[in-house]
Amino acid sequence: MSPTAALIKAALNSNFGWSIVRHRLFVQKRDRWMVPLVALGVVGVVPTLVLYVRLLGDVFDMLNSLGQEKALLTLAVLAGQLMILVFGLFYLIATFYFSRDLEYLIALPLKPSQILLSKFAVVLINEYLTMAPFILPALIVYGFKRHGDPGYWLIMPLTYILLPVIPLTAAGLVVVGMMRLVNVGRKKDLLIISGSLVLIAAALFLQFGLSRAAGTSDLDTQQIMSMIASPDGLVQTIGRRFPPAIWATRFLHDGLMTASGLSAFALFSGLSILLFGGLMAGAQRLFFGGLVGLSERSGVRVRGGKALAIKFSSGCHPVRAIFLREVRLMNRTPIFLLNGVLGVLLIPIVLALTLSSSKQGTDSADILRLMTSAKPATGILVTTMFMIVCATLSGVASSSFSREGRKFWISKVIPVGYRQQVSAKFLHSSAIALLGIGSAVAVLALRFHLGAWQWLSSLALALPVTAFITSLNLAVDLARPLLDWISPQKAMKQNLNVLIAMLFDLGFLFLYGLAFVALGKSGLSLGAVIGIMATFGVGLACLAFTLVSQFALRRYPSIET
Amino acid sequence: MIEIDHVSKSYNKGAVRAVDDLTLTVPPGEIFGFLGPNGAGKTTTIKMIVGILKPDAGTIRIAGLDNGAEALRCKAMTAYVPDEPEIYERLKGIEYLNFMGDVYGVSGGERRNRIEHWLQAFELSRAVADPIQTYSHGMRQKIILTAALMVKPKVFVLDEPMVGLDPRSSHLLKEAMREHCDGGGTLFFSTHIMEVAERLCDRIAIIHKGRLAACGTMAELRDQAKDKASLENIFLELTET
Repeated sequence: MSPTAALIKAALNSNFGWSIVRHRLFVQKRDRWMVPLVALGVVGVVPTLVLYVRLLGDVFDMLNSLGQEKALLTLAVLAGQLMILVFGLFYLIATFYFSRDLEYLIALPLKPSQILLSKFAVVLINEYLTMAPFILPALIVYGFKRHGDPGYWLIMPLTYILLPVIPLTAAGLVVVGMMRLVNVGRKKDLLIISGSLVLIAAALFLQFGLSRAAGTSDLDTQQIMSMIASPDGLVQTIGRRFPPAIWATRFLHDGLMTASGLSAFALFSGLSILLFGGLMAGAQRLFFGGLVGLSERSGVRVRGGKALAIKFSSGCHPVRAIFLREVRLMNRTPIFLLNGVLGVLLIPIVLALTLSSSKQGTDSADILRLMTSAKPATGILVTTMFMIVCATLSGVASSSFSREGRKFWISKVIPVGYRQQVSAKFLHSSAIALLGIGSAVAVLALRFHLGAWQWLSSLALALPVTAFITSLNLAVDLARPLLDWISPQKAMKQNLNVLIAMLFDLGFLFLYGLAFVALGKSGLSLGAVIGIMATFGVGLACLAFTLVSQFALRRYPSIET
Repeated sequence: MIEIDHVSKSYNKGAVRAVDDLTLTVPPGEIFGFLGPNGAGKTTTIKMIVGILKPDAGTIRIAGLDNGAEALRCKAMTAYVPDEPEIYERLKGIEYLNFMGDVYGVSGGERRNRIEHWLQAFELSRAVADPIQTYSHGMRQKIILTAALMVKPKVFVLDEPMVGLDPRSSHLLKEAMREHCDGGGTLFFSTHIMEVAERLCDRIAIIHKGRLAACGTMAELRDQAKDKASLENIFLELTET
């Protein structure tokens, strides 16, 4: 096996944990309970998938009646590539620059491009899996609805394989270039975070730009008529800011046996190869320059005794000490900071931007309409949900134990009670959730000009529910902490606990919303409903905190590292 | 001070017996060396003593207290140094020391004196305000040792503490170990360096395939072995498969 192939195989094995899963299932015979759970999860997705396929079928029929059925392909390709561009940026930064195995790989007789290729392969495979449930159904529905043409079924998988290459290599070039530029001096973490924020802003700008380009509401009736009259009208309108989506549509629809299909394929694959080649060439020149600095020592400073003395702490309560540890570790690990603190601060702003930029009749516009509804009860409920989602979506609580990773042994040997350790983690997660709520309140009050009564009432409801969800999410992570990771990204963004907790949270919020509506319909005044729900929330929060503290007493001793 | 009573631990649902019915007692004032080939069960035993792993059977007592039932009190009188210096890389050295001082309840004055002493001894004073991620393996080992020595516990549990240390630091550590036990403390440590064990330890145990192969003073171990030339020869003889 060539070194490149061996490296890619090892990287994929390490990322997906095939060897460790096999070992746990068949040698250690642990985690077998996960098999039916995963199967149940897959089965649980089927009804949603069926609904989605039906919806796609209806969209195809509607477009077909206008002679614009090709637009379904353009939409699928564009959505897939946008998804890859936005999520890919974070994956690429984390995988290219923050994997712990990089310092071992640098020492091996490998070219920078070989290392980067192995990392790129990991991200690429992840992207195939991420976009599969969204994009594959659209491509398959189109194939079945189009009747006949077996050539389509040969081209379709090829298109799916090529689909992430253009956005991912483009993002990769930006990431490699940016990391080389910012990775200088002592403030490199700060520069990495600033650079990542610039990338997020660029991704958002692109997202809004493309979604506006894909929108048709700016067109007048005559333009719409002429667009429908042309067989490629809708395709051109949707894909005008991103031509690869038009090329993919053309070769998928026309096939490779036609001049237009072949030329479109040549353009699509040519651009993919060009960008991939560019990334590899860039890697050869820039990758190590950006990488080596990450583990460089920033130079020893000579300090006098006096300067050192002021650093000594005179002692503080263990809960405060653990809280400070959590704050420092989160704020100083760029991936945790970006996903956690900056995430909760930015989510309300991004949601506000999405809501206010959306057109009449879309889901986002409906949410905004409900939030500013003339019915105070509806407005308060939607605003409360907005605050809770902004506070708890970051995954800070549901990765709290996982983030300790291999250092978890310290938590096991220090003479601090497990309840106290959980209290410190609860305080830290709550502090970050409060940042999210604060940001949400600022957006609601300043951007949407919601009245003080509305957001204060929502705040009274959201705070206890957020405390409840924080305890719930801590319990999820405590039940099965992911402690063996090499990239911090795995502890937070790729941690199954975060997803499981999110599902629990959404389920709870659904029930909470139902309870609120039911109480509202029972004839009670709005003030009474808010009072009852707030009291209920406080009760739940206290109960959940007590239970997670009790659970810690039982669970901590059995976590073995 | 440390009593290990019929302790067993297995992995893979009993398929691998890492520690098998181990019984040992380490009295106060004793440096106890724990030797064994790779995979013999040394680290598993040590992790059970400090509470990272839970024994499947048997009990471990620290100063007469069950380390399962009275975990907090046992931890408060024990300091542990692991074989791999896995600590919070994003904290500065001084922040890690302050954290350990806070959780062990070391007072401000004592903390300052002890930290300054050991930082100077280990030549870490200039690096202590830098993030741990910039430290070498040996420096990380030293910062963990500094934290353990700052706590000044009754019981030291060290897993291969000399690995990565330069000769001067290694010498200082050995002196500190002796001083600790002369003051009535207990020290349990594992090592692969036979000369260190032979010179430093009051008693030595050799563990092989999870079971105790021998335990006693150097003189007692010599009596049990055919080849009495050195601890290395005794070790090789006892751990032959």
